[in-house]
Order: sequence, then C-alpha cells, then structure tokens
Amino acid sequence: MTPSPLDNDRLVWMYTQMVRIREFEERVKRTFEEHPGVIRGHTHLADGVEASIVGSVANMQPGDYVLTTYRCHGYPIALGTDTKAIMAEIYGRATGICKGLGGSMHLCDPSRGFLGTSGIVGQGIPHATGAAYAAQIRGEGQVVLCFFGDGASKQGAFHESLNIAALWKLPIVYVMENNGYNVETQTHQEDANAAAGEDLSVKAKAYSMPGVTIDGGDPVAVYETVGAAMERARRGEGPTLIESKVYRLSAHGNLIAPPGVPLHYPEHEAIAVFGDREQYEAALKGDPVPQFRGRLVNDGVMTNEQAEEILKAARDEMQEAVTFGVESPFPENDEALAYVYA
Amino acid sequence: MSHELPYIAAIDEAIRLEMERDETVIYFGQNMATTENAPFRQQFGNDRVRVTPISETAEIGMAVGAALAGYRPVVELYMAEFMLVAMDQVVNEGPRFRAMSGGQVKVPLVLKAGWGFTAGWAGQHTGTLTNMFMGIPGLKVVSPSTAADAKGLMASAIRDDNPVVYFHNYLLTLDHGEVPDGEYLVPLGVADVRREGSDVTIVANAHMLNQSLKAAETLAGEGIQAEVIDPRTYAPLDVDTILESVGKTGRLVLVDSAPRHSAASNVIAGEVVERGFDLLKAPIVQVTALDATVPYSEPLEAYVIPDADRVAAAVRGVLGTAPVGA
Amino acid sequence: MTADDARRLLRTMWRIRHFEERVGRLKRTDEVFGLIHLSVGQEGVAAATCLQLRDDDAVYSGHRAHGHALAKGALLPRVMAELMGRETGVCRGMGGSMHLVDVEHGFLGATGVVGGNIPMALGSALAARRLGGDTVAVVFFGDGAVQAGHFNETVNLAALWGLPLIMVCENNGFAEFTPRSAHTVVERVSDVVSPYGIVRETVDGNDVLAVWERFGAFLARARAGEGPFLLECLTVRLRGHYEGDPAAYREAIADEEWQKMDPILRLQRHALAQGWVDEDEPAAIEAEAAEEVEAAVAFGRESAFPPPELVAELVYAGSDA
Repeated sequence: MTPSPLDNDRLVWMYTQMVRIREFEERVKRTFEEHPGVIRGHTHLADGVEASIVGSVANMQPGDYVLTTYRCHGYPIALGTDTKAIMAEIYGRATGICKGLGGSMHLCDPSRGFLGTSGIVGQGIPHATGAAYAAQIRGEGQVVLCFFGDGASKQGAFHESLNIAALWKLPIVYVMENNGYNVETQTHQEDANAAAGEDLSVKAKAYSMPGVTIDGGDPVAVYETVGAAMERARRGEGPTLIESKVYRLSAHGNLIAPPGVPLHYPEHEAIAVFGDREQYEAALKGDPVPQFRGRLVNDGVMTNEQAEEILKAARDEMQEAVTFGVESPFPENDEALAYVYA
Repeated sequence: MSHELPYIAAIDEAIRLEMERDETVIYFGQNMATTENAPFRQQFGNDRVRVTPISETAEIGMAVGAALAGYRPVVELYMAEFMLVAMDQVVNEGPRFRAMSGGQVKVPLVLKAGWGFTAGWAGQHTGTLTNMFMGIPGLKVVSPSTAADAKGLMASAIRDDNPVVYFHNYLLTLDHGEVPDGEYLVPLGVADVRREGSDVTIVANAHMLNQSLKAAETLAGEGIQAEVIDPRTYAPLDVDTILESVGKTGRLVLVDSAPRHSAASNVIAGEVVERGFDLLKAPIVQVTALDATVPYSEPLEAYVIPDADRVAAAVRGVLGTAPVGA
Repeated sequence: MTADDARRLLRTMWRIRHFEERVGRLKRTDEVFGLIHLSVGQEGVAAATCLQLRDDDAVYSGHRAHGHALAKGALLPRVMAELMGRETGVCRGMGGSMHLVDVEHGFLGATGVVGGNIPMALGSALAARRLGGDTVAVVFFGDGAVQAGHFNETVNLAALWGLPLIMVCENNGFAEFTPRSAHTVVERVSDVVSPYGIVRETVDGNDVLAVWERFGAFLARARAGEGPFLLECLTVRLRGHYEGDPAAYREAIADEEWQKMDPILRLQRHALAQGWVDEDEPAAIEAEAAEEVEAAVAFGRESAFPPPELVAELVYAGSDA
C-alpha cells in the first residue's frame, strides 16, 4: 500500500536533488545581474518548493509521465535532464533542451516522461488527464503526475478534468502546490475554501475523489503521500487530489520591464504588496532545504561534510551550466519555421 | 470501385477504417457512444470510444495530452462553436507544443466540428469560423465539400502528425456522393478544381461551393465559363492552384459564408493581389455574409448569407455583363 | 401557498404546456425554425420559481427557455411571434427559440451554449449587490452544465463574495442525449457544490408545492443579503432533447405513471382537495390557456417578418440612436 521505504542513499539522493534545484534557481536569479539581457521574458522560480517536487517525482517509475505549470525548472532537474541544456534553454540558445524555442516556461523532456507544460494557468491539467487516459488504455501500469498551483483550481479546466478522471478512474495524481499566492493575490482573496479557512483538498469532494493536504516542505511526507496515491492509481483505483502546502521564496516572477532595462527579481509579494515581513521571515526559517539537511545530519543519514560536498558539487554544476549557456550559440533563423508542422 | 454514401456517413467510414488500421486512434466526445450498441463502441470497445461530459476544455485538452502520450485522438465536437468554449486549448495549447519543445513532441489530433447550420439555428450555431483558425501556426484546417472528400480528408487528418480542425458543413450532412472503397486519402493542402472555365475563377467551399456551381450553370447559359475551385484545406492553403486559374481567367470572385471582415476570402485575396496582381484584368470581388450575427428569422437569414444569385451577380459585375433577359 | 397562488401557478403551467405542445406542432409544419427544445413536463419548476420574482430580478435560462420566459412575464404572443421569426417577437425575430430575451420583465436571456448563462447570472448578482437593493439573480440550467468549467468558476466566486444568486438546476437525468451516469460519478448536483458550503437542497421538481416553498425560503434569504443558493429540482423531460429527436437512448415513461407525476395534475389534485379551486375551475383555466396560445399563433401569422435594415441596425449599440 505504501511506497518502498527510503534507505539512506535514497534520502541523500533526495537532498542532493533539492540542493541542485535550489542552486540552479539561484543562478537563474543571479543571471539577471551577472549577464543582463541574457534571460528574456518571464521566469518563475521554485526555490522553497524543492521538497514537494523531489518528494513527488522520486516515486516515478520508467514510463510514468509528468506535466507541470510554467514554474517548471525543478522537475526536469530532479528527473536527470542535463542542467546545461535547461540553462541554455532559459538563455534561448540552440543547445537548449527545446533548442531555444521554448524558454523558461516551456521546458519539455519526453525522454524522461516530462511531456511539457502550459504557460496558461490550469490548462495543463486536461493535458495530464489525457495522458492518463492514454496510460489507461495502453494498460502498462503507467501513472501520471500532474502539478499545478492553487490558482489553477479556480479554472474550469480543473473542474472538468477532475470530474472525468474520477468518472473514468484514470491513473493520475493531481498535486496542487499551494504557495498561498496567485501572482500577488493571496489565496483567501480568491478562493471560497481558503476564505472559509479550509484546506483546498476539500475540493476533491465535488468529484467523489480522495483529497489530502500535506506539508509540502517535508520531502518524506510528500514522498509517502504521493507514492501511496500513485500506487492506488497504478492499481486502477483512480485519481487523488493532493494539496501540497509550500512557500515560494522568490516573487512570482522576474520584474517585467521594457527591453534595455535590466530585469531582476523583486521582493516577495508578502513584503512588496502586503508589507508582511513576518510572514516571509517565518517562511525563511522553515526553508525546506536546510531543514532537511539538519534532519538527515541529526538522524545520522548524512554528515555535514557530505552536505558541503553536495552543495559544492551543485554549485560547480550550475556554474558549468551558466558558462555553457552563455557561450552557446543562438539558433539559426530557419529553426523558427522548422517545427511549425510535424 | 466506389459506393454511394451521404457526406456524414463518409466521415464515419473514414474514422472506422482508420481505427481498424491503427490501434492508437481513439474517438471521444459528448453524446456519442452512450450505450453499448453505439456502432463505434460496439466495434472498438469502451477504451477507445468514450462519451464525455459537456466539458470542452477537458475534452480538447485531454486530446492534446493523449497525443503527447502517443495516441491519435479524434474529438467529436458536434458544433464548431463549442471550440470557442475551449479557445485556449484549440489555439494556444495543442498547436504550440511542437514548436515550443523544439520539435521534441508532436500533437496528432483531429477536432471534428460541424458548422454552418444556417437553417434557423440563429446566432450561436451558424458561424463560419474557418478564418478564425487558419492563421494559427501549427494548426491545420480542412473543410470537405463532397462525400468523397469528407472521407479522404478525414483519413488524412487522422494520419497527419499535427492538430487538425476538421470542419464538416451541416447543410451537406445528407448530400449523397460516390465514395471510393477502402483506403482513400485526399492530401491536405491541395485544392480541387471542381469545374473548368476560362472567363472567371470562383473560389468557394461546402454549401457556398454548391451555390457557386449552381451559379456557374446559370452563367454558362449566358455564355460565361466559370472555373470553380474548392480549397478543401485552409491551412496549409493551396494558393498556387488559385493563382494558376487566375492566370487563365484574369478574374476572381471569392465566395465565403463568413462575415466580410472575418472571411478566409480576405486571406486568399491578399495572396493573389500580392503574387498575381499582373494576372488580374479586374478587381477581385468577395461575396461574403454581412458583418452581422446570423439572424433567426428566415428571410433575414437569407438576407445575410450569400446564395447562387448573388454569386452570379458578382460574376456578371466582374465581367461587365448583364443577366439574360435583363 | 394561497388559493390565489395556486390559481396563478395552474394558469402559468397550463399556458406553458399548451405553448410547448403547439410549438411542437408548428415545428412539424416549419412555421418555427431551427432547433427547438421543449420543456413539457418541467413546467412546475419555471412556474413555482418565476412567479415569486419581480421584474427587477434578473433571470437567465439556457436552450430550453420558453417556460422560464413565459413564467417570468414575457408576453405569450410576443414569445410565439419570436419563435415564428416575426418583427413583433420579443427579440424582433432575431433571436428565436434559443435566444429569448425580454428585458422589460427581467428575463435577461437565454443562451444556446450549455452553461454559458451561469457566469452571466453571477454578473447580475454582483450588480444587484453593488446597486444595494434587494434584487436577486436566478439562473436555470440542466445537470449537463454542471460538468462545464464555468459552473465551478461561478460557484467559487459566488461563494467567496456571498452574492444573491440562486442557481436552479433542473436535473432531468439527461445531458442532451447522455445519461448523467456517463458524465460523472457524483449522483446529486447539490453534492458538486458541497465543498463550497453553499446552502443547497434537492427537491422533487414535479412537486410544485415543494419547489414553491424551498425557492421562496431561498429567495427571502437572498433578498435579505444572503447567498448564494442552489436548488436542485429533479424533473422529467417528456420529449426528446430537441423536436425531432427519436430519443432512442432511453425508455419512454408510461402514461399512467406520468399522470401521477405530472406537476400540473398534482397541483390540481391538491388544490381541489384543499378547496382552493372549484371542481370545474382547472378545466376552465386550461381552456383559457389553450385559447390564448391559439390567439398567439394567429398574432404571429399576421405579423410581418422583420425588415432587412434591422440587421445592420443591431450590429452595434448606438447605431439606432
């Protein structure tokens, strides 16, 4: 019924992926200052959400699919996509995972089951549901992980998809990463359940589907809950809605400014919009990455030296990714028309 | 060898043959296969043929997802206007994925959408939406006018590796025609010269094509030989065949049941003017619907939508002739 | 419910019943055009709700809208003329069966796309709240609309903002041609809104007394500033989805059984038992309704079709000034 227990190697692997995601996002952020103009458009970071990402995808087996939102850097990193190709994609280079045609919001690596994202809130939910329909008729035990934010649960696409998934008992797990903000709107301002002080997983009731709420900052809790839901889905018992409560440590996205003006990350909306420094600082104190490190060291799973090595390796890797990206060529003009039709 | 079929049955035949040929073709939509006896469900089972709730965003979005995961979904939408409920999925999701992934994925799916029920269905079910979708890069748009094309274009649409909007005109539903037996493919992106002529080129599709062919008969009695072309596919658009015809006739009348300012004829006119200005002996004339929501009342519906008389009148205008007996 | 209420209800239901049956016959001779959806058998819901509303309350309906429009006060001859495509119709012949609008009586409109009316009603409820009076917005829809995304989007906002919206779901068990079980595993529509804490009830939609009472209670609370509410009325659609639908996907209801369920006959029996009406009054009410419908057909036939200039005039607001 429960996913396989995490041995020490697996726990260290999880920590390593969390650190890699964190360091990657840090370098994306720093790129705005170190290499102004290299990143164009809108970029969304997942620092603070690493535990939820890693705990979830750690359950994926070969053949499983994952589809996500535009806040998507973390998933392929945890799945093993080369960070050089991800960074180069964000820099719009020919060596990017999508050859520079997708950018930060549209990463995709079908070779690892990462079928892609939608840049439009909530619209990836039916895609994931369709992939689950494909998995069901293929009959090889594949399961789909579908990630979206709390804001997406107010989209009609959410309602329509979850109803069908429950009706058809599709092999899918819906992971709602509730970071408490829809851009700069707090969830209780736009969600009737949040306004009533309820967990958002209560929405599952409307579809006769199990719904659970977990601390998305605890990678082990995420691993176990998502894993159990995936096992259930694999047995043909249908979908689950999981609300994973997280806190993103960066603002919704980088500042949007006209070309020529350096873009950077503003302060988190808690401070910039609501003047609530306390909320943000409390979140910083609960930062899942150092929390998990402390726990693994305390439990004797990992030493401090090991943790430092992991951090150093991640930093070296991301430096390499930045250098690779900056030095890579842009795609040729004819690439713009190369993928219009298959 | 061929057999006679109504237009709508020719579409079903193509879907059935493609489902027999390729296990990855799946077919779902509202109000279809609600019982075990529904023909498609009986033959292909509940896995590959499913009824959905009234949830267009999920239906079309799921088609995108199933296509990403290796299937070839056909979505039964009944009414083309129902795509408008899920505009994001039709325009901004499916057709974008291949390009944004740098060619890593493909999204083969067919949106089967009936259109143009200009028989008192009033404002929300009678639109001609071709132009709305023909300019979306990555999205193909087809619209058959005969039973044979209905079959051949559906088969090609299913085999195509891209999202395809397959428009079928409701006014042609029960029009019978000869349909080739067995596997029959009409390539996407190839127009059909339905009638040869030397004096004027008429471009029209579906019900408007039939009206144009009728007008061409009338005009023949007046000594005017009209060449009538059916684009069949609007994206990619076969401009070359139209240009070739204009090279012969020097005159072009474009017929379209869409409102004047959202008609595919605008795009065709632009291409011909830019690439074939020197071929034209007279200005291009567009015979379109008026820029108005289609009215319910029968006389006004007829007032807004073009017919054979209006096509014939436009041709006479282009040629500077008067109708017989005038 | 008073004797007078019962009389009004009977009159309204008979008018709708005869209107619908007459339209069905007109459709067969092509005197009305296009796609026609009739509400024969569902008259109880329209009458028991709309008769409690005022002209300044906004009502929205869907493709099966004739009964709601008539119950809300739209003039029967003008609705008939609309269906016959005449200039004297409520929409001057431009809208037809699926697009009835009668602003004068607060029937803000019917839409032919399933569920499209639900967010519009939310807008009217928001306006009602902003205007500060005690008006409410009411939206009628079928159980098929509940699986559409905009239903959920509306429910969340209505609940979040506490708007005076009463959602009336006529659950006839079929979404167009498909049974509810093929659309969702959730049995009752009222269960779908349960996560949002919306005050909700499921009633027998053929029991006019029950609909009258429950809707009346919701209406009083909505007028007092509460909301939103959902009233699920379990009904029976006697005819096919549209006129001409062979309805092969379901079994016809037996005549005898229907006599027991028919909302009009049920209320008549109750009214007689209560002594609210005389023995021969129901028949008189029915006869009067039938005459009114015949007169409306004559009115429609005598009316002109709209002039072509109307098409251009109606494209943009302001052009008729």
